[in-house]
Amino acid sequence: MPVSLNYIFKRIILSILVILGVIVFSYLLLMLSPGDPAVKWAGNPRGPGATKAIELAREELGLNKPLYMQIVNFIYNFLTGNLGLSIAYKIPVSQVIVSGFAATLELMLFTYFFSVPLGIWLGIYSAINRGSRIDSFIQSISIILASTPTFWLGSLLLLASNSLTGFFPYGRVSSKLALSTGFTPITGFYLLDSLIQGNIQVFIDVLVRLIPPALTISVYPIGVLARVTRTLVAEALLEDYVRAAVAWGIKRKTIIRQFVLRSIVPPVIQISGLSFVYSLVDAMVVETVVFGREGLGSILIDSLHKADFRVTLALAVYLTAFYIIVNTLVDIVQATIDPRIRL
Amino acid sequence: MLLPTYYSRIIYRNLKKTRFKIGVGISTIIVVLAIIAPLIAPYPDEGYGYIPADAGERKLVPPSIEHIFGTDALGRDLFSRVIIGTRTAVIQAVSVIFISLIIGMLIGVCAAYFKGIIEITLNYFIELFMAIPSIVIALFLRLTIGQGLHVVIASLVITWWAWYARISYVYAKSVVELEYVVLAKLSGLSALKIIPRHVIRNIFQALTVQAISDLGSALLEASAINFMGLGLPSGFPEWGVILYEAITERGIEAFLRSPWLVVFPGILILVTTLGFSLVADPLREDLDPRLRRRWKLWF
Amino acid sequence: MVLAIRAENLKIGYLDEEEEQVVWATRGVDLNVEEGESFCLVGESGCGKSTLASAIAGILPPHALTMGKLYIFDQLVIDDSKRNYNGIRGKIVGLIPQNPGTSLNPFLTIEDHFYYVLKDSKNMNKSESRKIAHEYLLKVGLNKDVLEKYPHELSGGMQQRVLIAIALASNVKIVVADEPTSSIDANLRAQILNLVNSLVKEFKVTLFIVTHDLASAGKICDKIAVMYAGRIVEMGPTSIITNKPRHPYTKMLFESIPILGWKRALNPLPGEPPNVIEEITWCSFRERCPLKIEICNKEPPLMLTDENLHFTRCWRFKEVS
Ligand SMILES: Nc1ncnc2c1ncn2[C@@H]1O[C@H](COP(=O)(O)OP(=O)(O)O)[C@@H](O)[C@H]1O
Ligand SMILES: [Mg+2]
Repeated sequence: MPVSLNYIFKRIILSILVILGVIVFSYLLLMLSPGDPAVKWAGNPRGPGATKAIELAREELGLNKPLYMQIVNFIYNFLTGNLGLSIAYKIPVSQVIVSGFAATLELMLFTYFFSVPLGIWLGIYSAINRGSRIDSFIQSISIILASTPTFWLGSLLLLASNSLTGFFPYGRVSSKLALSTGFTPITGFYLLDSLIQGNIQVFIDVLVRLIPPALTISVYPIGVLARVTRTLVAEALLEDYVRAAVAWGIKRKTIIRQFVLRSIVPPVIQISGLSFVYSLVDAMVVETVVFGREGLGSILIDSLHKADFRVTLALAVYLTAFYIIVNTLVDIVQATIDPRIRL
Repeated sequence: MLLPTYYSRIIYRNLKKTRFKIGVGISTIIVVLAIIAPLIAPYPDEGYGYIPADAGERKLVPPSIEHIFGTDALGRDLFSRVIIGTRTAVIQAVSVIFISLIIGMLIGVCAAYFKGIIEITLNYFIELFMAIPSIVIALFLRLTIGQGLHVVIASLVITWWAWYARISYVYAKSVVELEYVVLAKLSGLSALKIIPRHVIRNIFQALTVQAISDLGSALLEASAINFMGLGLPSGFPEWGVILYEAITERGIEAFLRSPWLVVFPGILILVTTLGFSLVADPLREDLDPRLRRRWKLWF
Repeated sequence: MVLAIRAENLKIGYLDEEEEQVVWATRGVDLNVEEGESFCLVGESGCGKSTLASAIAGILPPHALTMGKLYIFDQLVIDDSKRNYNGIRGKIVGLIPQNPGTSLNPFLTIEDHFYYVLKDSKNMNKSESRKIAHEYLLKVGLNKDVLEKYPHELSGGMQQRVLIAIALASNVKIVVADEPTSSIDANLRAQILNLVNSLVKEFKVTLFIVTHDLASAGKICDKIAVMYAGRIVEMGPTSIITNKPRHPYTKMLFESIPILGWKRALNPLPGEPPNVIEEITWCSFRERCPLKIEICNKEPPLMLTDENLHFTRCWRFKEVS
């Protein structure tokens, strides 16, 4: 699909509108769902301080003003990162989300670092051996991988790791080790942080603990990319320019590299982007409940237990924004790669 | 071509493929199980979540002849729960897909058919709802309206309809530009007639294939929501809920002591999802005639 | 006299999607193309022209079945079901594809196209290939800027010229052109055909050209073969075929050509070509033939080659001319 600069400009405008839209949508959810919005905003407080907390929430939301003013106010607060303190954590909501993002993103990037190339490779290999036994095998494997419930697989991996190696990869880093070596988080990406501090022990510990959850999350991107890449390569091989290249005597290896694989790069990037945002939710499901790691998953669980609407709404907005930003970036990258698009 | 003959031709053509046959086999078994589940479950009441009178003596029994999948922490027969859970699985997946498909198709087709401001607005909402993760919607609904099947289905439908709307929009866009549709429009035929007669009929095939292939993902997402404790309440006959009770509620260490609670429901989720995908995959490949042939690298 | 292309009872069919039936696209083609000759294949669409051209260029798809023999300069490339184009593609036979718009890789510049072709057929490096590319682009009437361009930046006519240059650049001995003018503007067609013609003459290349455009084919070709339903029904030197056709089908084909300037009342070919699935030994044209007689239903058509190497497959050749 040819994309133009104009299209990209439109995408960016649309992204901004969508992010504003999801802020409005979350506010309306808060207003229109059953229950007093002020009570919800205050986190269903009980006990002596409750009335005061609810009063405060009412003021914060500006519930005595007309609805559109409330919405404008809410958008303003959101954009300025001024959503008040999280009920569950007692620190500013945006700070909560950012710290969780770093942890989950580290896991995600680590996962995609190996699963995207692996998935693509499987797909290519399977397509150029199409019809063979190895192709059937790869197809079956990738369809099974994409059908696996990750939270289940994660538990089994944990069980396997525990009973085979005696190691129980729970949490992001051994707190004993972190304390004894004086490891302190800086960016929230522990791999990076430990490297910066030259703390190899922690680095290895963090790495080892990343592997089981990363393997768990990787099944979806591997499965999906293998399947999609296979179809894309199969389609590309039917292009007229591949036939022409064959007739001109270009060698098979060159045809595959320069004629077939080049053309699948933009759609593969697009699929990887889509699957990345899908896997983010996957990561949220497994990282905390199964692997005891902090991250967006633990934020989700804590918001559930503490009825933290502020964080819930912030999650909705930030995750949507993340989705939109990743997709827009993917579109722009795609457009730069494709020579048919003049930037 | 008549739709039934069209589908029977496709099915005939694909029945030669082993994977398709396996998929049809699995899906049929799952659907039949869903229908007759209470007849098969040895302890149907426990399957529905009732705690047996003698619960104290049979908590967390490992798989045995009497309880082939073992029992859970409240002494319920796991096999019965898993079998009855088939029904919930099918209901969840099918209703999410069906409702989303209907809503999405109508909105997508309208966006393609009515140009101008309607098209722009609808596309904006499609874009918006596609971007919101269903798990957060589930959390929100869980906090405001509580738990239940409707919560799971609603939180998935709220985002999934947009996906079908997008697909319908893309397909319908090319259909509404076909000459005879334009002519029908010019001749004053009302949209109410043109849309079902020409537009929807033309895009229906591709959409149904897409819907079938999404059944598995819907099941995976629904059970993930339940696994997090966001959808169905504890004790509900649903695979994600059983896993929730085994892991989320009791902590991961507890699972190490009673792994059967996790292994069996998980396998069923996997097999069911796999069955749906195996049916859908060849059908999807069939939509692209160029890919139908058996093929090998020839140069 | 050296034969560049020789086909002996060449049959090519395609397996259908269910892999149950074979659609035969050519059903026994015998043909000789001499070195240096321009050979033209004409016929209605669907009669198997592209299939034959693909067989010579070595790009039959994997679901194609072959029988009979095909030689390219004495190398047996099709030997019944065995196909072996080692050392042929790009070295002896080059291709000018049918659709210029889709036959160039949209992700590569024109320079890269030349580079990959010349690297693999002539072991050239980037700068050598650039020099050759430049030289050949000049020959097809394009200038150097085209090298840096991507295919979509060129017009259809320019793309076709580039394709001609690529096909010739690796010094092939035979060029196969499958309807090289079918998808470009009508006013450019004659130009492109003349260009192809002058270049093949200049490089002494054998040209195997498939075309609809009978009028121009007559101008540039030494020999014409007329194909009908997978068989060659008439073949011979151009002047004979155009002036004194002996097959009723050839006559009908020529009568349906619009003549330049004023359009003769178009005489569309009546009837439909026969279904290619059936095995036919009788004259496949007889249902549509205005001159059909008793014997046409009884016996396979008479095959006759006269002293001018004029071949016909018809009982009624005398009545036609
Ligand atoms: N790649 C293919 N796969 C299957 N059938 C084909 C293929 N190419 C051509 N055919 C069939 O072979 C016959 C001859 O086609 P073709 O050689 O393209 O004719 P022409 O070039 O004279 O129009 C047609 O009936 C066509 O349907
Ligand atoms: Mg053709």
